Amino acid sequence: MNNITIALAKGRLTQKSLELFRKNGFGESIDEKSRKLIFKDKITYILVKPSDVLTYVEKGVADLGIVGKDIILEFDSDVYEIMDLNFGKCKFSIAGFENQKTYKENEVLRIASKYPNYVRKIFKDRNQKIEIIKLNGSVELAPLLNLSDVIVDIVETGNTIKANGLVVLEDLTEISAKLIANKVSYRFKYEAIKEIENLLGGKNND
Amino acid sequence: MQFINIQDELKFTKKRRNFERNFEKYFEEKGYLMIEPRIFQSYDYFMLSNILLDSQKTVKILSGNSKILILRPDITMNILERVLNYWEDENPLKIYYNSKIYLNKSDSTIGEYRQIGVEYLGENSLIADMEIIDMAIKIMEKNSEPFILELGTSKYIDELFKELNIDENVKRNLKELIAKKNKNGIIHLLSKESIDDKYKKILINILDFQGDIDVVILMAEKHFMNSGMKIAIEELKALRDFFETNKLKKMIHFDLSMIPDLDYYDGIIFKGYYFSSSKKIISGGRYDRLSEKFKKKVSAIGFSINMDEMMKVIIQKGKMNE
Repeated sequence: MNNITIALAKGRLTQKSLELFRKNGFGESIDEKSRKLIFKDKITYILVKPSDVLTYVEKGVADLGIVGKDIILEFDSDVYEIMDLNFGKCKFSIAGFENQKTYKENEVLRIASKYPNYVRKIFKDRNQKIEIIKLNGSVELAPLLNLSDVIVDIVETGNTIKANGLVVLEDLTEISAKLIANKVSYRFKYEAIKEIENLLGGKNND
Repeated sequence: MQFINIQDELKFTKKRRNFERNFEKYFEEKGYLMIEPRIFQSYDYFMLSNILLDSQKTVKILSGNSKILILRPDITMNILERVLNYWEDENPLKIYYNSKIYLNKSDSTIGEYRQIGVEYLGENSLIADMEIIDMAIKIMEKNSEPFILELGTSKYIDELFKELNIDENVKRNLKELIAKKNKNGIIHLLSKESIDDKYKKILINILDFQGDIDVVILMAEKHFMNSGMKIAIEELKALRDFFETNKLKKMIHFDLSMIPDLDYYDGIIFKGYYFSSSKKIISGGRYDRLSEKFKKKVSAIGFSINMDEMMKVIIQKGKMNE
């Protein structure tokens, strides 16, 4: 097992990932307060930006990765999605002002989002003309300043949305943290990966 | 590949050509003759054949008489279209190619990808299966680098799917989830469908149907739902002795949950991976069904080598030895 490298997403999922590891006897080497990016005990850990987890795993620099489904849906990548980790749960939702419609006949719906590819995919089947406004944060601001009609974002508690006078108009996709694997690593390190999968609770999920 | 200067590029090309000649010589010794695929294909024909390749990825051009053509996006289809036009109960045909495919990339440029491969047509037998798998392994062995050949059959899952009374879209989603090895996704999808529990049980556990050939066969045999699934496993079993006597077992990882990248495969499928590369080097399988799209019935098996990735492995290895 000691030749396995796992990429962890920094941010929303870090704390929960570490809890899961420590509960199962891994990850004592990780000091999340330090500025170091690489740690090693039973296995090697690298801490990277969420969207980079996919890149590291796809290129095989990391064998495994922990990343949110939101990132997987936004960026097409050629990896195996071997396990749902049952934490970091939230939803992709469309939000806007109360009583607002999520479709506009013969009009363009303006959507602000951090996830343009995902939005394009979702609205492709809906026969709705859209304009996507790509933002990198504070998406809730867009409808307030009339930059967009609605937003598509991940909603956990809904507090930020409420605090800005918006409501969830429609829920789209359920999100949670996923264990992903590089396709070649999965083949060459199958036993070790299965072992980690079982330790992280794969058996209990059935 | 990017080069700093022309000398580097020429040196690299020389090295690549050496390997290519080596492969070509090997194929010719085995009785394969070279075929040169046509660079242009009819767009309408490609759309009709519906091989699950995103049509947006194909590079389109307009001919003088305003017909839409595409640069070949796949070599097997391209060759077969030509060969089968002439085909009348012929003797088995062995051909190889050393060529390129062209696809649009997401950054709006056009990608050229080198492929070398073989096709064994008109021989629907164990002989062809054994020869092609053996050749794939011999090619992987030419680099002294650890490798695994992942081998399965698309028939087992395809036949199982025939028993499922569900929407085509759901079937496609289910296949995608299996291809992604996404067990939780499979469980979630099945929970919403009214499928008999005996089918659900196989689908939920299908990802574990892998490892040693004997173990895989034992697991698979418990779940035959129709004669097609049985035939799929019989075909694997027939290969077992061949793997055993030639000591190939340890290089092969059997996986019944393999889903082919292109939907024309029906039967044995395989992919070759090197330890030092993050992409598949070889991919191939049996595609008897493809000829039906040309209104013929010709059995066929073959594989192609991703030469760009192969060269990366070779260069990397060279650097380490310097």
